[in-house]
Amino acid sequence: MSTTVITPQPTTKKVKPTRQESRIGMFFVNAWLIFFAVISVVPMLWLVLASSKSDPELSNRNPLAFGSFRGYLNAWQNLQFFDNGVIGKWVLNSILFNAAIVIIATITASLAGFVISASKIRFKRTFLISTLIMMLIPPVALVIPLFVLMDKVKLVDNPWSVILISSLYPFGAFLSYIYYSTTIPPELYESARLDGCSDWQLYSRIAFPLSGALLGLLAFFAFIGNWANYFMPYVMLYSGENYTLPLGLGFLFYSTPAINPGIGATSVPIYKPEIALAGVLIAVPIMIMFLVSQKRLIRGMLAGSIKE
Amino acid sequence: MARVKKYKQRNFLMIVMLFPYLFLLITFGLVPLIMAFFEVPGESLTNPDGGWDAFSIVVQDFRFPQAVKNVLGFMAIYVPLTLILVIVMALMLDVRHTRWSKYLRMAYIVPASISGAVAVLVWWAILEPTISPIKSVLGFFGIESATQIWQTKNLVYIIALITFFSIAGNWILIQYGSLQSISSEIIEAARVDGCSAFQLAVRIKLPLIRKYVIYMAVLLFAGGLQIFVEPQLLTSTIYTGIANAWSFDQLSYELAFKSGDFGGASALSIILLLPSMLGALIVIFKTDMFDDKAIRIKKDSEKADI
Repeated sequence: MSTTVITPQPTTKKVKPTRQESRIGMFFVNAWLIFFAVISVVPMLWLVLASSKSDPELSNRNPLAFGSFRGYLNAWQNLQFFDNGVIGKWVLNSILFNAAIVIIATITASLAGFVISASKIRFKRTFLISTLIMMLIPPVALVIPLFVLMDKVKLVDNPWSVILISSLYPFGAFLSYIYYSTTIPPELYESARLDGCSDWQLYSRIAFPLSGALLGLLAFFAFIGNWANYFMPYVMLYSGENYTLPLGLGFLFYSTPAINPGIGATSVPIYKPEIALAGVLIAVPIMIMFLVSQKRLIRGMLAGSIKE
Repeated sequence: MARVKKYKQRNFLMIVMLFPYLFLLITFGLVPLIMAFFEVPGESLTNPDGGWDAFSIVVQDFRFPQAVKNVLGFMAIYVPLTLILVIVMALMLDVRHTRWSKYLRMAYIVPASISGAVAVLVWWAILEPTISPIKSVLGFFGIESATQIWQTKNLVYIIALITFFSIAGNWILIQYGSLQSISSEIIEAARVDGCSAFQLAVRIKLPLIRKYVIYMAVLLFAGGLQIFVEPQLLTSTIYTGIANAWSFDQLSYELAFKSGDFGGASALSIILLLPSMLGALIVIFKTDMFDDKAIRIKKDSEKADI
């Protein structure tokens, strides 16, 4: 114990919190942080492990025990018996629809953001505020009117209804606007104009080559926002062969006795591990995206509000 | 006229580049809204003469008060639970940065990949004592059969739990990110003044991230009001009838697709849109969430070339 009187020093060195508080307090803080991490991971762990086991093993063995790799293969093969292997079509639909959405949404949003940041067109403010309003309203809010619209243009039960609606990407347009206006100084456009660049060349030669990080961000958010989407396809698509994986999963709940005791026994070998595998196909791609793109998530969601 | 022509010439390519997004925004943002208004006065079984009564008819629907009770009950749990836990978690993560923090954050984001249909599946399993990964916890509470849990009266809690887990991780990371925007000088000055970690969190950090908290609250509120997928999947696939017309959006869906009452369904959509719209306007105009640059593009720039 030192008896010297410590006077505050004009220093930027980190000052540690008082020792007593840090010990007891930090123990509880850490304990809670770890506890929450465990309960965060368990459901996903269960899901991934469930499809490695057989149906009886699922009830008899430890819920978090691993079955075998063969288990995954069995579950996948059993899923093929459902409706002549329609699961393959659902996987394909999910991949194709999402690829189309990600491409259209990313391109349109990036162009829109560029135009708002670089042009002097009229109604820019109105345009930006409508984009923000659309961004803050939950997408499900407009589902019924959107169905009426799609019905009028005869696109109900056509994948394009889901692709086009989901490609409206106001968050992406806003993100692009912030990105372009913070990374590219207006003087650069001005001098390029003086050098004879057209507006299109301003995008293709200046903005686009500098858009790598932005396009990654846009594609990431477009993918995680749409891959597991249920409501929009649920309302718009009703033929089994047009289903996406999430819709297909709901359909499996409904039409097999695996988790719906109301359905009598069927000859199709769809049990809990098969259903869990369908769940894995939806959840794991998103999880991987999240894990590799943590920084993107934070940067994107806070864009425009944190001044650097 | 010459000026207008010059404006058009100069901006033609810009407008062409904006067009694809603008087309989507108008077609799937504005047009459905206008169509919903025109749909409301249409004739239907419940509104045989048509007209704007559709609004009062839908509110007087026998299922409406129940939906109000369910959704408000659900939101009374979901919104504060998410708000408080997310903030607490983000503040705790920010107390000390160790090499473990990164792994903790990774763990927190995992449940965000379990949403919609997968979330229903996973929670069905968690609450099913025969296969549950938390068998012992269920046993501790004396739960031996899933029917003890899956009852209509418990749904507000179960659905609040499901939605909390599918959204919390996202927000913990975002609020953690917002905490990183606080300048280290402020934090150090407070520490030098003798602030404890707790005081620092509550008195310094929390007020400084206020606008992000408001932003989150508005989005949670707007999203909660539109709850649909979880109760709909439960009632239509696993536990038939447990949550029929449980939420507003489910009622709207039933009106449209079961009774063919698109007028009533549109009226309900419009009623539900109002609070979301209000929330959006509050965030845009009453907080500086979207930075002055974003909203306050100088008005004169709009007139510059005209």
